[in-house]
Amino acid sequence: MSAPSSSDLIRGPAHLLGDDVNTDLHCSTKYLPGKDNAFVAARAFEDLAPGFAQRFEPGGIIVAGANFGINSSREQATHVLKLLGCAALVARSFGRQFFRNCINNGLPVVECTLTGLDEGDAIEIDLARGCVRAGGVEHAVPPLPAEVRAILAAGGLHAFLHAHPDWRL
Amino acid sequence: MGATMVEKILSSHALDRQLRAGDVVVASVDFAMVHDGRAGNALKMIEKMNAKALPFAHRAAFVVDHFSPPPNAEAANTHAAMRSFAAAHGARLYDVGSGICHQVLPEGGHFTCGDIVVGTDTHSTTYGAFNALGTGVEGTDLSAVLATGKAWFRVPETIRVELSGRLAPGVWAKDITLHMLRRLGAEGANYRALEYVGSAVEAMAIDDRMTLANHAAELGAKAAILEADAKTEAWLQAHGAAAPRPVRADADAHYAEVIGIDAGSLAPQVARPHHIDQAVSVAEAGTQRIDLALIGTCTNGRLDDLRQAAAVLRGKRIAPGVRMIVTPASRAIYLQALREGLIETLAQAGASVEPAGCGTCVGITGKLIAGDGEVIVSSANRNFKGRLGNPRAQIWIASSATVAASALTGVLTDPRGVAGGDWRVQ
Repeated sequence: MSAPSSSDLIRGPAHLLGDDVNTDLHCSTKYLPGKDNAFVAARAFEDLAPGFAQRFEPGGIIVAGANFGINSSREQATHVLKLLGCAALVARSFGRQFFRNCINNGLPVVECTLTGLDEGDAIEIDLARGCVRAGGVEHAVPPLPAEVRAILAAGGLHAFLHAHPDWRL
Repeated sequence: MGATMVEKILSSHALDRQLRAGDVVVASVDFAMVHDGRAGNALKMIEKMNAKALPFAHRAAFVVDHFSPPPNAEAANTHAAMRSFAAAHGARLYDVGSGICHQVLPEGGHFTCGDIVVGTDTHSTTYGAFNALGTGVEGTDLSAVLATGKAWFRVPETIRVELSGRLAPGVWAKDITLHMLRRLGAEGANYRALEYVGSAVEAMAIDDRMTLANHAAELGAKAAILEADAKTEAWLQAHGAAAPRPVRADADAHYAEVIGIDAGSLAPQVARPHHIDQAVSVAEAGTQRIDLALIGTCTNGRLDDLRQAAAVLRGKRIAPGVRMIVTPASRAIYLQALREGLIETLAQAGASVEPAGCGTCVGITGKLIAGDGEVIVSSANRNFKGRLGNPRAQIWIASSATVAASALTGVLTDPRGVAGGDWRVQ
């Protein structure tokens, strides 16, 4: 196990989305040929939460329900979230490929069911200890494995491999 | 405690220890695939990675299938970049009309039992039909594989699906998956691997086994894997694959869940618009007019699909007003279908035949085939609203036999009720 680092601790305001958010539709250009990531980022999740991209400030944390990012093998959805300045995502569950893409792009993803929150509530995530604090309650979550935290701490898989070309921690 | 098939394959590629579900591991990858739908991002990520060399590029295939032939300059330019990259780095190129990635990889003998294959597509689970671990990745993973030959994986929990009995004539692997979707829900196997075993799987021909592994993507599965048998090994050998290293689960392997299905009792299924897990039997669907009938895709565009359709439509015409489009999954399938007279049978019945590729599967490929309010029955894998480019169209999903029977009558039809609908592989 690697030592805990400052990148394991993330704090920011919650931005709420619901269940089954399909990133293919809501934050990629899959059905918008010829548009770029900046175009999508400015309108991300507009149909689900009007004004979402305008409200979102860098450092914000997306909090969602089940199956966030389903159907999306598109890495572009994570690039759009990075463009928005998203610091982390907390959801009850994620689409498998989306979860993987987030880690590869240095975007922390935590599986945790958070309910009763208001938009803007403070969230604190401790990746090393495996806990999420929100609304005065601490939720234990399975800690991310050291290998995954190392990729996140480096800022993504490319940066990790430049530092560790043999994949060893 | 014993190990599942996926635990064994990942362990053999990580070399250091016997892995268990939940472990995260760096494993060597035997083959990688990029298709033109994701090649733009993959090439961008390869460039961004800025690796000194890409020594594993010769173990990758670049496949032109989604935009084949290209409908616009953007797609044509992506294809040109794929050709240049493949030539410069020794990757294998499958150009326009070769076929769908998940079909041309096994046909090209690029992997064998026990291998790990990654592809930039969720339906990379298809390779599990050959007892390999196939799973979807994206451009960043792909760039790392080309540079290092490795990728990181979380070892998935496994759901074992025991399919007893044998599918009745007119009932196919597609119907099993639609039944599973009804039971588990669209993401019911998210993060997990599926092991499909039992007498019904043993009785299946390779084409149907590929449908079973492929369609696991709609269940959210990371992988779907079948045992290898004499059929698997003969098929791989005939296609020039390396000597198989078959893997079986231990009797005391740990499963997240074990599901038993009596395959012999299943009836043909259809998924209602716009949700793949809203599956009912064709009888339960009631009377439903159709306007378009589609056979093709990586799920059901294989030779046995065309044979099912031809058995139903031989010497007949599709219903007035219905349009039918058939897309062979690969050029090899197209050629064999020509030799068997299947293409002639289908064309005489009124079907249009497209070049091999992803065809009409998804509305990003520059084809808009349905008008407002039109009803499509398709052997594809996804039916969410707008999938075919028009959110005001409705898409039902069914087996190729059901699609052909419905094209014949103009309404959703159980293939067992029409002549030839009970065709099965001998």
